[in-house]
Amino acid sequence: MVGTGAGPFSYAPAIALFPLAAFVISLVFGRQLPKKGAIPGIFATAASLLFSLWMFATVAGGETYHETLYEWSAGAVTTEVGAEEIAFSFGLLIDPLSALMLVIVSLVAFLVHVFSLGYMNDEGETGLPRYYASLGLFTFSMLAFVYADNLLMAFMFFELVGLCSYLLIGFWFRTKSAPSAAKKAFLVTRFGDYFFLIGVVAIASTFGTVAFAGEESFVVAAETAIEDGTTLFGFDAQTWVTITGLLVLGGVIGKSAQFPLHTWLPDAMEGPTTVSALIHAATMVAAGVYLVARMFGYYALSPTALSIIAFVGGFTALFAATMGVVKDDIKQVLAYSTISQYGYMMLGMGVGGYVAGVFHLMNHAFFKALLFLGSGAVIVLMHHEQDMWKMGGLKDKAPITYYTFLAGALALAGIVPFSGFWSKDEVLFDALIVGLEEPVILAAYAMGLLAVFFTGFYTFRMVFLTFHGEPRTETAEDPHGVGWSIKAPLVVLGLLAALVGFVNLAPIAKVAGMDITFLEYWLDGEYGYVEGLTYHHYHEMVAFEEGYIGSETTTMLLSAGLSLGLALAGAFAAHTLYNVPEPKRHTTKLGGAYTVLRNNYYQDEYQVWLAEGLTLPLARTADLFDRSVIDGAVDGVSGASLFGSSWVKRIQTGLVTNYAALIVAGFIALLLGLGLYGGWF
Amino acid sequence: MNDWIAIGALALVGLLIPLGMMAVSYLLRPTVPETSKRATYESGEIPTGGTRVRFNIQYYTVALLFLVFDIETVLLFPWAVVYLDAVESDSVSLLEILGPMLLFVAILLVGLAWAWRNGAVQWAQTPRQAAADSDRQ
Amino acid sequence: MAAYQLPQWAALAPALLLALTGLVLFLIDSISPRSTDRTLLAGTAAVGALASLAVAVWFTAAGVGTPTVDGGEGVIEIFDGQFVVDQLALYFMIVVTIVTALIVVASYDYLAGHTYQAEYYSLVVLAATGMATVAAANSLVTIFIALELTSLPSYALVAILKDNRGSVEAGLKYFLIGALSSAIFVYGISLVYGATGVLQLDSIAEVIADGGADGFGGLLGLGILMLLGGIAFKTASVPFHFWAPEAYEGAPAPISAFLSSASKAAGFVIAFRVFNVAFPLGEIGNVIGFDWTVAFVVLAIVTMTVGNFAAATQENVKRMLAYSSIGHAGYALIGLAGLSADGGELVMGAALMHLLVYGFMNTGAFLFVALAEHWGVGRTFEDYNGLSSQAPVACGAMAVFLFSLAGIPPFGGFFSKYFLFTGALQAATANTAMLAVAAALVVNSALSLYYYSRLVKALWIEDPPATRDRLGQPTGLYAAIVVAAVMTIVILPGFGPVAEAATGAAEALVN
Repeated sequence: MVGTGAGPFSYAPAIALFPLAAFVISLVFGRQLPKKGAIPGIFATAASLLFSLWMFATVAGGETYHETLYEWSAGAVTTEVGAEEIAFSFGLLIDPLSALMLVIVSLVAFLVHVFSLGYMNDEGETGLPRYYASLGLFTFSMLAFVYADNLLMAFMFFELVGLCSYLLIGFWFRTKSAPSAAKKAFLVTRFGDYFFLIGVVAIASTFGTVAFAGEESFVVAAETAIEDGTTLFGFDAQTWVTITGLLVLGGVIGKSAQFPLHTWLPDAMEGPTTVSALIHAATMVAAGVYLVARMFGYYALSPTALSIIAFVGGFTALFAATMGVVKDDIKQVLAYSTISQYGYMMLGMGVGGYVAGVFHLMNHAFFKALLFLGSGAVIVLMHHEQDMWKMGGLKDKAPITYYTFLAGALALAGIVPFSGFWSKDEVLFDALIVGLEEPVILAAYAMGLLAVFFTGFYTFRMVFLTFHGEPRTETAEDPHGVGWSIKAPLVVLGLLAALVGFVNLAPIAKVAGMDITFLEYWLDGEYGYVEGLTYHHYHEMVAFEEGYIGSETTTMLLSAGLSLGLALAGAFAAHTLYNVPEPKRHTTKLGGAYTVLRNNYYQDEYQVWLAEGLTLPLARTADLFDRSVIDGAVDGVSGASLFGSSWVKRIQTGLVTNYAALIVAGFIALLLGLGLYGGWF
Repeated sequence: MNDWIAIGALALVGLLIPLGMMAVSYLLRPTVPETSKRATYESGEIPTGGTRVRFNIQYYTVALLFLVFDIETVLLFPWAVVYLDAVESDSVSLLEILGPMLLFVAILLVGLAWAWRNGAVQWAQTPRQAAADSDRQ
Repeated sequence: MAAYQLPQWAALAPALLLALTGLVLFLIDSISPRSTDRTLLAGTAAVGALASLAVAVWFTAAGVGTPTVDGGEGVIEIFDGQFVVDQLALYFMIVVTIVTALIVVASYDYLAGHTYQAEYYSLVVLAATGMATVAAANSLVTIFIALELTSLPSYALVAILKDNRGSVEAGLKYFLIGALSSAIFVYGISLVYGATGVLQLDSIAEVIADGGADGFGGLLGLGILMLLGGIAFKTASVPFHFWAPEAYEGAPAPISAFLSSASKAAGFVIAFRVFNVAFPLGEIGNVIGFDWTVAFVVLAIVTMTVGNFAAATQENVKRMLAYSSIGHAGYALIGLAGLSADGGELVMGAALMHLLVYGFMNTGAFLFVALAEHWGVGRTFEDYNGLSSQAPVACGAMAVFLFSLAGIPPFGGFFSKYFLFTGALQAATANTAMLAVAAALVVNSALSLYYYSRLVKALWIEDPPATRDRLGQPTGLYAAIVVAAVMTIVILPGFGPVAEAATGAAEALVN
């Protein structure tokens, strides 16, 4: 059901173009505008949201859209699978997945814009036009990335997203840490994107197409190649698909902050909290996982790639959760929770749980946006203090902030019936059933399960330290008030965090036998669908066996109970330790582990060592080579030329008799040379 | 035998003759050194002034004008010889016979007029004229 | 064409118009000697040059010289073939008249306060007449006469600053070397005449083809080589280039522009016509033992190299441009070096294009020097430091000229050089020596970028000296420079017709 240009879809480009217009307006006229560019941004994202909802409704009505808008290059090529031409274009693909993501992105962007009124404008920040312009560009890039219909366009906007995050993280560029964090975010993600680019080139040169969907897509081409047993670049087709898939995954790991490229994300907290909300919930970090979902059909062809995704995801989930336990800065805790949660999504995707992964992506977008905006509200309350040990007792002073934050925390920790529970449970269930047949996945599952406990612990540690107990500082006793522009987004997101999980109540559906797994139906093409991009199709392609403990329902209940129990255990542990009037640090109990966790497993240190100890000497050697050999050769040539020049110049003596003699001599030399050559003598 | 040997021989002989004559004269002549022998020969007169005398530029301009009209005459002459025959024949019109030569003479006349106006045939200049002529560059 | 068919001799109209303009200027000077009415004099000369240009363009558009099979008027022969008006002739008439017009306009300011105004303009126009005539000359005698008509006014023009020692010295040197070269050239003519018994170019070819020159190979070869010498003098190619740096440096800058652009083009048109028409490749090889392309290969490489190498370390801007002009002569020589018995019109077309583009960019560069002389800022690179802060428009135009001369992409010079390069590579299939020529072209272009950008750096990056007076904005010079700069840029989109005209002219000549 692929629509043509007619109908609502012809307005689809506007979704991305509104924020772009806001970017231009804020950049050019920002200084003169009353709210320094906030108004156009809010209106643009609101319009994007409306249009996205319209698209969503249209897709729900059974239509989809796949259209090439502009072809900027096409030419003949020789590819491995025999395609003879390739075209690079800009096009839109609106299927259930991208329609859903458009709504999420534009909603979060809209709320962040509104929140910014309270967080940035009311706090008297300078450079606001720059801020809103960057936000606009950021939203534009992400929206365009979401409905890109081919890998190259996706890559371009993926990069643009990275650039915008650089601009926004480094917004307070006069501090020392913000520019450094921005650079780090840029360089680390760029490191991943380097592999992504190679992957794009590899896919293009292998299949002669970079389209995501349709008969001409590289997914279909890869499927055909595997069926035909074609050899690609000297590899078995499936191996080659794995290799290229993993190359693209490099970009995903960088952007979605998976181990080992997660180090940029905690530092990125240097940006304004609103930016953190946008980056972590809906844009930059989500882009990585979304890309996996977008080209899931391709990964589904390679069990190896899927296993790697799952394992990296599971590992990251646990790894980041443990680090989140010892952080004092409220935003740092959230940062590690983001890394951890994206690990879950990767785990879900990696085990073939496409629906579970997307479900968690959606839920996470809402509750993480909520938590970040909530922490932003706390920061406003606390006069820009971020250390949780200096807070406490905010519960009574700011009830709306507290309850909405609590909703987000419950969702994050995965407590029933908040949204996070449903999706996390589904991820873990999918992992478990595959894990029963595949040991590697089982290990990933185990790590993911263990992380649930830590998640519950650090989440509630954060809640208790911030809101409960006695105020530990003067500012905490007398917090700064917050306005409607901060409260309204929190309320909207709080409701969503609490309720959005009900769109896919898989366990209840199984137990009660009801058809209430709406998200699954949505992604499975019950409404509108694009051929080859449905959950059903993916599920058939994934080669994993599934096993159960007892029956399917037993397994499911077991899994759900286990994860809920662990989450509650974590929350309870936090309650006993920190929900007291005068909480202690309790860090000494961890012993040496504390130091390791506090230093983030020395990830930064070893990466810095890699850069300074390994890359720098290499670069120095290259530089030395460049300066001595290359420059030497170049300088030598120029030196010889100039020396030759001064010599040639000397022929010109200024005496006309010499000239006459030289002319005659030259002429005679020519005459003799040619005469001998021609045999005149 | 290469044909060019003859040329080489000619060159050799051409060199040998003057050298031989100088050698013979050197051997035969008596040596009487005298200062007046070193003086510049000026038709028996005692030389006055240096050898580098500036000639009036007018010599050259007049000579050039003479050359121009000399050549004009050379070109006019054959034309004049065929002129009567051409007039009598019917194949060419009078304009075709007369035209080119009139044009040629007219061009020369423009040149002459210009040269005249610019003082090429002015025999001598008063100081006032000379001052007006000097280049300001 | 129009209903009224013009008489045959009217095909020479571009040259005749220039001659008429010269006479009118003489008349003006006769009526009021020592006239300093610059507007009248420069205006007359400019109108004459532009009228001539217009007629030449009109003729080209109307198809004069285009073969009749292509719907053109065919080649027009005048005076029993002593002159021919074909595409090549018209193409070079256009080049010459464009340069003349630019020079005349620019001289309006340059000659302010000069005594010999009328003489200057009439000499320029007469020299241009000679060049236009050269373009159409089809016999060794007419070529020689036209060439002398070009040369004699040039000698006087170089020395026209009579109170300037440099100018007079340059004029004398130019004259002496010119006399030597003319002697060699005319000697060459006599030898060719001796070997073949005819003077008209196509008749020479017929005699050679009929075997009439067999047995006189050495004589004919020597004659050809001497003709080459005379041409090399005109085009300022090694080893006959010695006059160029001195003459260009000493002469008034507009005259340097004139000599290095138009006069050089005139030299090349002789080369193209004489060697292609009178001594067709292949047949000539049987008589003199080798194809004359060998001589051009050697000359092209040596000329390029000497010109560019000598330019690299010059301190005087005008002298640098003089040497670069020698280098460019080397590039244009590739057009002859790359010919072969069965083609090569592409590389020759490229050389023609290069000469046209060169007519704009080199003239413009020398006119900028004229502007600098007008301002009196000095002559060395250092004296030009930071001029851009005071005269951004002119300096911008100069940067365009220099980058175009160096062959940097967005400008006309890049394309002509690029075509020369590809043409040379293509010719290498028939003549492997062309690979060396192509390599020399690349190496020398790279070197040339060094000294061109040195000047750009001086103009745009260096700081101006503190003690420099305000610079005027002479209208004529500015207009000429801006027009040249604009043409250097817009010739790029308009390259289609130019390339067509050039290759058409080359094709007609080669085949």
